[in-house]
Amino acid sequence: MPKSQKRRAVIVGGVRTPFVKAFKEFIELDSIDLADAAVKGLMDRYAVPRDAVDSIVWGGVILPSAAPNIAREIALDLGLPSRVEGMTVTRACASGLQAVTLAAAAIERGEYDCAIAGGSDSTSNGELKMPQKFVRTVGPVVMGGKATPADYLQLVAQLAPFTDLLPRMPKIAERTTGQVMGEAAEDMAKRNEISRVAQDEFTVASHHRAAAAISSGRFDDEVTPVQTRKGAVYTDSLVRGDTSVEKLAKLRPVFARSGTLTAGNSSPLTDGASAVLLMSEDKARALGYRPKAAFRSWAYRAVDPADQLLMGPALAMPAALDAAGLTLKDIGLVDMHEAFAAQVLSVLKMLGSDAFAKMRLGRSKAIGTVDFETLNVHGGSIALGHPFGATGARMVTTMANELEAGQHETALLGICAAGGLGAAAVLERVA
Amino acid sequence: MTDTLVELSSNPWFRQGIKQLGLPIPTPQKLARTRHPRVERPLDGQCICVMSETGAVDRALAETVIEAGANAVVVNKSRVSSHWLSTGEAYGRSVTHATLGDTSSEGTVQGLVFDATGIDRPETLRQLYDFFHHWLPRLGRCGRVVVIGRPPEDQSNPSKAAAQAGLDGFIRSVTREIGRKGSTAHVVYVAQKAEARLKPLLRFLMSKRSAFISGQPWRVSSRVKSRLSGKLTRPLENKTALITGAARGIGAATARLLAAEGARVICLDRPGDEDATSAIAAEVGGVPLMVDITDPNAPKLIQKAIDEDGGCIDIIVHNAGITRDKTLARMKPEWWDQAVDVNLGAVLRINEALFPSVLADNARIVCLSSVAGLAGNVGQTNYAASKAGLVGYVKSAAATLAKTGGTINAVAPGFIETRLTRAIPVMTREVGRRLSALGQGGEPHDVAELIAYLVTPGAAGTSGQVMRACGGMFLGA
Repeated sequence: MPKSQKRRAVIVGGVRTPFVKAFKEFIELDSIDLADAAVKGLMDRYAVPRDAVDSIVWGGVILPSAAPNIAREIALDLGLPSRVEGMTVTRACASGLQAVTLAAAAIERGEYDCAIAGGSDSTSNGELKMPQKFVRTVGPVVMGGKATPADYLQLVAQLAPFTDLLPRMPKIAERTTGQVMGEAAEDMAKRNEISRVAQDEFTVASHHRAAAAISSGRFDDEVTPVQTRKGAVYTDSLVRGDTSVEKLAKLRPVFARSGTLTAGNSSPLTDGASAVLLMSEDKARALGYRPKAAFRSWAYRAVDPADQLLMGPALAMPAALDAAGLTLKDIGLVDMHEAFAAQVLSVLKMLGSDAFAKMRLGRSKAIGTVDFETLNVHGGSIALGHPFGATGARMVTTMANELEAGQHETALLGICAAGGLGAAAVLERVA
Repeated sequence: MTDTLVELSSNPWFRQGIKQLGLPIPTPQKLARTRHPRVERPLDGQCICVMSETGAVDRALAETVIEAGANAVVVNKSRVSSHWLSTGEAYGRSVTHATLGDTSSEGTVQGLVFDATGIDRPETLRQLYDFFHHWLPRLGRCGRVVVIGRPPEDQSNPSKAAAQAGLDGFIRSVTREIGRKGSTAHVVYVAQKAEARLKPLLRFLMSKRSAFISGQPWRVSSRVKSRLSGKLTRPLENKTALITGAARGIGAATARLLAAEGARVICLDRPGDEDATSAIAAEVGGVPLMVDITDPNAPKLIQKAIDEDGGCIDIIVHNAGITRDKTLARMKPEWWDQAVDVNLGAVLRINEALFPSVLADNARIVCLSSVAGLAGNVGQTNYAASKAGLVGYVKSAAATLAKTGGTINAVAPGFIETRLTRAIPVMTREVGRRLSALGQGGEPHDVAELIAYLVTPGAAGTSGQVMRACGGMFLGA
């Protein structure tokens, strides 16, 4: 029997919508509309033959409850052949990366030859939910068979007092601890001794690098314009190239009175979508594409959400490096999702800590110090924004393009997510 | 069974009223207990103050306190050792340093730990005064005090032996002073090179699991061979336990706790108690086993049941016991025989039958003794003889078991609210309850927590000992 040869999934390219502040330009577009725009942009940019696509794999956090399988809706909206199936996954803020790695795994296993993967989120279209008490009381009467007027009267009596029937504003709070993510990050800043100044300096770099990337046209290949009723949106709207530590210092802490986290050094609520085109290497070559990058490894880990909620990447990144057979020294570029400057700096501190390596990872030496010059070279989620499900695919796209440019061989990705999750992946250039 | 005085004392008006009127009525603190299985960070967010001058046990201390989720204040003259710094860094809980005279840090702490391994002369015992004089008033309700020393019996230097033995008396008195607030105190004598074995014990003593255990001198040695397991949760996974007298009271509470930590439990009780035994066995997902332990065939029946169950057993809890109280002059001979046979004879027979054949390596055996037995009591000559007999037995058997990594200990409950104590006349019962430093009786659950600790793999440092779950009882020291 001939030895089985491992198929490799390659990244052909990626495209995203501009990332826009929530409740602004994209308010009329829900998560599916944004996803449509990103996938359409991707297919146009890379002239993807419509017959070639086998599947769409999508990630999202705030899923539209009327049509939670966004992936399938994209295929239908874009009029792709009806055989193009779709699935939607959620893994909190790692949903986008999850979708991309899932598609890569399916291709490597031979399920697909070509898939589009990515993610989208529209905080502007988050749904206000009726309280569970209302649903549980009203449901059985209205949906549970024939109800008499007396039943309805009784129902009203049961629902009184009506004050707890008001819809609640959704919060990004942990279900088990009730802690809002910013509070968790505030706690991490304190525990890992990350100063306000360090956070603000990191924030300024993120904005300056993102602004430079936009003005130099570095993102032109990655960002597709989106049409709205009020006109087209061409570029990311949250990046402030003119910000400075002095300006940021004026902001007041938002999660604790004497805290260090501000609206400035946290990632903002954002609307957007991002899509990546993946193929088996053979298929890509057969269709005449020059693949940019491939996954060398990926890893998902978790920490106790009641401890340090956003420390997951400090476990996942070493695991991905191990799976890739590499050390941090072998890595050319590091791209980390910036939920909060405090969270990135906390994770970096732990990656550089011998004590953490010994006690938490069971290894003798620290993972290593990340050179700031190689970290988030074109800014990150603080400057660009963070549409939850889209961020992972944005990072894959930016790093794949960076590797293709030829200066670096490998890139390490790290994403923290709700529930104490950590996600990481190692990308390598495809020659 | 509820203790009315404890319930009333949770009411601030009642406490205040008693104080104002100057009534000689104790107001015992309702104890904080844990009702869930072991968690990774039992001390999450607590503040623990540690006095560490020599640094001899710093590694175990730092890893326990910080891994368990507590924030540490380290008090000493010089500076915080590298163990504290690196553990603090790894877990994101940097350690605060304070000097002894430093009065700036305010607020209450939940635990005080004192490394007394360096105390070697009567004069240096003064360090205890200096530290606790300042910090003991800041210990919050249901707080914990642990003093760590070296076993006096291991000391060749008489002066050090004296100073170290002094820790025991100090702790017993502290127990009395802080008992009203529901706080407990212990001295842990750790042998040289057994420091790493402190971790599971400290974690237990500092947690709410040890709510009713106080004033105990613990001994931690490396005599029993054991590989340290890092498992903090579900430590009894893949272990099988046999509990005698499991139908109710302490036996049932132990069955619940061991099952909650992952053990498979064989619930043994006497024929005639099928209903209660099957109920507890069903509740904990275990197996009921109806055997009269005084039956000469009992060891054989138990062995057969274990063979059918899987052939191997890791934990035995000898909990079944009876009282046949009468003053010696009036006691019938069969009452003497019954008490001694159930409480002592049967334990020996069963252990001897199981020792070589079905008992696994690293076995854990606990025999239930009794504070009343140790202290002596009118009308309990038979009972006390049997319960004190167990003390000698575990000392001797510990040496045999150590060869295969096993431990055997006795647990002596104080006043516990069970069916046995409910039958005591009301006035006697009231006195019995208030005779402890905590000013109240314990629950079967409290004794079960001590048993559950002693049967974990991590408790390898403690063998041949008698540990009391008595709330710091004034009797039978």
